[in-house]
Amino acid sequence: MNQPFPISELGASAVDVDIRNIGLSYGTNHVLKGITLHIRPGEFFAFLGPSGCGKTTLLRLIAGFNEADGGEVLIGGQDVSHLPPWKRDVGMVFQSYALWPHMTVRRNVSFGLEERKVPRAEVDRRVAAALELVGLAHLADRRPSQLSGGQQQRVAVARTIAIEPKVLLLDEPLSNLDAKMRVQVRRELRDLQQRLGLTTIFVTHDQEEANTICDRIAVMNDGVVQQVGTPMELYEKPANLFVANFLGTANILPGRVVREGGQRFFDIDGGVRVPIPAHVVVPEGAKLVFRPQHASLTRGGAGDVLLPGTIVHSEFLGSTLRYVVRIGAAEVSIDTPFHSGETLHQTGSAVEVSLSLRSVLWLAI
Amino acid sequence: MAGATTAGRAHVPSASSRHFLRLSATPGQIALALGIIVFLALFLIVPVGTVIYVAFTEKGTGEFTLVNFLDFARTDLFIRSFWNSVYVSAMSVVVASVFALPLAYITTRFEFRGAMLIQTLGFLPLIMPPFVGAVAMLLLFGRNGTVNLLLDEWFGIKIPFMEGLNGVIFVQAVHYFPFILINLSAALRNIDRSMEEAAQNLGSSGFRLFRRIVFPLAMPGYIAGASLVFVKVFDDLATPLLLNVKDMLAPQAYLRVTSIGIADPMGYVISVVLICMSVLAMWISARAMRGKDYATVQRGGGGLAKRRMRPWESVLAYAAVLLILLLVLAPHIGLLLLSFATIWSFSPLPDAFTLAHYGRVFGESFVYVKNTLLYASIAGLIDVVLGTAIAYLVLRTKLIGREWLDWAATAALAIPGVVLGIGYLRTFYGVQLPDGTPLATLWITIVLALAIRRLPYALRACYAALQQISVSLEEAAENLGATKVRTVRRVVLPLMAGGILAGFVTSFATAAVELSATLMLVQSNADAPLAYGLYVFMQSAAGRGPGAALGVIAVLLVAVCTFASHMIIEKSQKAKGAGR
Amino acid sequence: MLRHSVAAAVLIGTALFTGTAIAQSGKVTIVTSFSKDVTDPFKQAFEKAHPGVTLDVQNRNTNAGVKFIEETKANNQVDIFWASAPDAFEVLKGKSLLQKHKPKAEGIPDKIGSYPINDPENFYSGFAASGYGIMWNDRYAKANKLPEPKDWQDLAKPVYFDHVAMAAPSRSGTTHLTIETILQGEGWEQGWRTLKEMSGNFRQITERSFGVPEAVNSGQVGFGIVIDFFAFSAQASGFPVKFVYPTVTTIVPANVAVVANAPNKAGAEAFVDYLVSPAGQEVLLEPSIRRLPVNPAVYAKAPADYPNPFKDPSLGARVKFDVNVSEKRTNVVDVLYDQTVTFQLDALKAATKAIHDAEAAIATKDNAEAKALVKEARDLVAAMPVTEQQASSPEIAGAFTGGKEKGARQAELEQQWASFAKERYQQAQSKAEQALKLVR
Repeated sequence: MNQPFPISELGASAVDVDIRNIGLSYGTNHVLKGITLHIRPGEFFAFLGPSGCGKTTLLRLIAGFNEADGGEVLIGGQDVSHLPPWKRDVGMVFQSYALWPHMTVRRNVSFGLEERKVPRAEVDRRVAAALELVGLAHLADRRPSQLSGGQQQRVAVARTIAIEPKVLLLDEPLSNLDAKMRVQVRRELRDLQQRLGLTTIFVTHDQEEANTICDRIAVMNDGVVQQVGTPMELYEKPANLFVANFLGTANILPGRVVREGGQRFFDIDGGVRVPIPAHVVVPEGAKLVFRPQHASLTRGGAGDVLLPGTIVHSEFLGSTLRYVVRIGAAEVSIDTPFHSGETLHQTGSAVEVSLSLRSVLWLAI
Repeated sequence: MAGATTAGRAHVPSASSRHFLRLSATPGQIALALGIIVFLALFLIVPVGTVIYVAFTEKGTGEFTLVNFLDFARTDLFIRSFWNSVYVSAMSVVVASVFALPLAYITTRFEFRGAMLIQTLGFLPLIMPPFVGAVAMLLLFGRNGTVNLLLDEWFGIKIPFMEGLNGVIFVQAVHYFPFILINLSAALRNIDRSMEEAAQNLGSSGFRLFRRIVFPLAMPGYIAGASLVFVKVFDDLATPLLLNVKDMLAPQAYLRVTSIGIADPMGYVISVVLICMSVLAMWISARAMRGKDYATVQRGGGGLAKRRMRPWESVLAYAAVLLILLLVLAPHIGLLLLSFATIWSFSPLPDAFTLAHYGRVFGESFVYVKNTLLYASIAGLIDVVLGTAIAYLVLRTKLIGREWLDWAATAALAIPGVVLGIGYLRTFYGVQLPDGTPLATLWITIVLALAIRRLPYALRACYAALQQISVSLEEAAENLGATKVRTVRRVVLPLMAGGILAGFVTSFATAAVELSATLMLVQSNADAPLAYGLYVFMQSAAGRGPGAALGVIAVLLVAVCTFASHMIIEKSQKAKGAGR
Repeated sequence: MLRHSVAAAVLIGTALFTGTAIAQSGKVTIVTSFSKDVTDPFKQAFEKAHPGVTLDVQNRNTNAGVKFIEETKANNQVDIFWASAPDAFEVLKGKSLLQKHKPKAEGIPDKIGSYPINDPENFYSGFAASGYGIMWNDRYAKANKLPEPKDWQDLAKPVYFDHVAMAAPSRSGTTHLTIETILQGEGWEQGWRTLKEMSGNFRQITERSFGVPEAVNSGQVGFGIVIDFFAFSAQASGFPVKFVYPTVTTIVPANVAVVANAPNKAGAEAFVDYLVSPAGQEVLLEPSIRRLPVNPAVYAKAPADYPNPFKDPSLGARVKFDVNVSEKRTNVVDVLYDQTVTFQLDALKAATKAIHDAEAAIATKDNAEAKALVKEARDLVAAMPVTEQQASSPEIAGAFTGGKEKGARQAELEQQWASFAKERYQQAQSKAEQALKLVR
């Protein structure tokens, strides 16, 4: 392969994935409960959630390894719900990579093409292109056991994209790599996906991974999609407490809404009262939620409220300082930018937390 | 041939002690190795050596010569026998694979009711009592057996199942296929599920998936089983002789060694050839498996997941399993019929049924049963102790020449029972106990012979069990202050327990029906095991029924013990959680 | 070694005493090739007659038994050797492994048929007689529409092709005697011709004596050349088998001998004496045993149809059996048979079949040239690589004794004989096929 980057060899026109009301249970254990998702053509999409949330099950269901009790999966408009895995044309990269130890790298990559009875010459061309793409052309005749973890991961990707799948599925592909490799490989993955324009679904439990490489994320918990959106949307406008808490740090203050003379207040458990701005909708049983950086220990601007508290813990994080402050019965985290020469507040000292009410979320669930 | 002689030398302690004392081995390990060497030398190498040295001596002068091997190569009969043996062994592996592959695959990779029962039933053919098994097979599949009489009546055709080499292949495949089943099942269970799914994901399915991915990954287990089948068939003399096939190597050796007045060296030359071929086969299989222990290299992934079958797949699978079970259990079915039959002669089924045969053996079989259980248990115990020790020395120490322990113990596989029996008589008859009784007349001699004969089975099981235990578990124990000995006792042995028990079961079960060595060594009826009692019965027309009844008792006895052990293994595996 | 033996003794603990030999009354250890059906009634009767003496019966086939006594002679634990084939006793006698004992019994003649009952030097004694004959499965014969044979020559007829079985003479002492009987009765050349014509019809040549009756009993083979009691005891067990004594047969005794250095000599001699006593002789008449007593008086108590070699002149009277001739060439005859027949059975059968086919064709359409070819073919089949004189010569016999002197090696001779036979069988087959073409 003389061409540096023969994308055209492997590029496929992107398709969408439509997941309609998928349910799956093992006995009384409901693993997926009415999942409906639409993944757009060419999108890098993530299933994000804690372990046991059903994200891998859903991915395997798309690949055809699990069959749903109800609902359907459409890939490029075609219902594949009842197709066996080998007829679906979706490429999956396994968490363990699942490289066949009895085959060389080249044989691993050519496997899928051979199964498709692609002519020999074309197999060679596409294998070479796929290996070139992941930068492993020089290791084609090695055995998987002779490669490093990162190299194995790239072989797994090459093996999958060689068949030009309609959709690429990645099952926690970075979990077996060390921290530094992880950052590098996730960039490579993103890069690759961009160049191929391939609809890609990525399963992870790591929000940072999802945030950095995905166009959109479906946050899952307990077999249910909690929210779908871009990383920023999810961060800024979490639909519920779970999403707020799962993506980044969220301070959650329980309390109750009281009315006094036409004005609504939120009485945080433990005695502090916060006025609720007039236009804000506060659902029944809501809690006050805010991010650490949306509060400070210095007096803020207009519309901010001041909450008296006590510092229980402080951490120096480099560019920021993090304080843990007890307000009423709850503890909240506050991040403030670190300025040169600044000294930390002493643990135990009384402070006032200035909270920007504009950034406060009122979430009931 | 060279292999056998060097094997012999490597175990004479004086020649190798200098090497053994060097390098990073603890005194305890060296003592253990020396103990094993002494045991193997005393009960394997010396007795066999006293018999087969004749192969290397010149007629008349007694000087060392290789002319006898030249004679072997120049004799058409031996060359024909050699190739027949190779052919039969290879084809037996093929046919045994046909039996074993579907059973192993279906029971390990699918949700299949009765998988455990099948695994246990699949073990039964190994417990084929001598003589009666072949008689039963002939009554079912012989030229005038049940199947052919019916075929002849309905369609006017006969199928020569049991004729010539094909008959030997058929019976041997039925008899020894469990070796492949057991090893292959274990290997299949250890394949990471994602290996299979990755292939499906890339468009592979059905038989191609099996051929290109699953089977190659299970290859080490398959090779281990197949090589065992090859060697056993190559060295087995009873089956060919009972089917009147004489132009194979093992029967030729037996016929020569046991014929009156024929003191020529060729019988022993053939024995040497048998031993060399067996060691060669084991060596080749070991080479083929080197660096291919795939099953345990993968981390993560789901582990074993059993797929549910679609209805038509289930029907097909059950049909296949039933057909295979029917075939491989035919000897036992025939045996059962025979034990209840009054007269069964030239008819599809016995003329009538009776319980009289069981009545006849009931009283006198008790002593046989007791002896069999005693001998086979002690032999099995000796085997797992030796097997574990050898496996540990080979896999976990750096003793020089440690592989030779393995080779020597494995060579026992190839030594015809009758050669071992004669060797024991020669070596131990002169040794007297304080009261003047020869050592060879004690029943413990039978036990030792059984232990040596079955050592290879237990050794392989222990070896595999130890191989699957990560060294880091031992290092962790040592790191926390446990000595080597305590590490072995508290970490290694508990983790190996399943494999050790499996080894014990195989040794025990096969020793319980062993005849060839014991026949030579049985000194009194009171000390005789079941197989001998069976042999005695099967020498007369009236003894056929009682012999079959005794055979059924033997099979039941061993099967119950086997099943119990399976349950124990299963339980201990569950207790250890996912610990594969 | 000693230390080890002590260790073993400790290991087995209390089980030791079972192995200890006790003098005079005690235990009599017997090595025998006879089946349980034969030994059990004798054991019961003898132990009843001699309270305090127990028989320990070890069952081994004749060859293994001889081998066992030979291997353990340094520390012998066996009192009695008890088997059919006189040859085995000759071998043991030749190696000084037997002890002289003349049983105290009266009324036993010197000969049965033409065969001497006892060893002239009293190393072993006959206690029963057996004759060789043809046993067949009646259902098998009827299903295949085969006639009942009467004589050895009948088995050479084309109709019996692939229906007959026999034990290899090298493996069965009794079969060896059958072969030797035919060779002595018909002469070396003609004897081998008869043997090979018969053998060409064989379906199998078994390596155990009992393999033949077993195959006939179960119906896998139709006809077997067996010693009479196999057939009688099978009949007694209810198997659909029949038996006939051919005209040329010999009746030979089954024997018993005291082993040299027997640990319980007195008990051993008592057992031998019992066997030939009238009480012991009567045990032979039991249906599961059915052997011919050597005491003529006992036949008075036998069932009406019981064969009596002392009255029936057809039983063995026509053959003169010379033990000395047999003894000299035992190994040579066995190896000759194995190399030219047992291990060449496929080639021999192919030639035999071709000859049968050609003869059948000639019978319908006469052709002198074809007849000559078939005769040539038959001669080729019958040809033997050694003459009668050579067979007994020390040069050839010496190759099989593992003797101390250098000489021809067994393997060399075997290879020569095997290729001699194989070549001729192939030639015979092609000649017979040629003959068949001529008459087609």
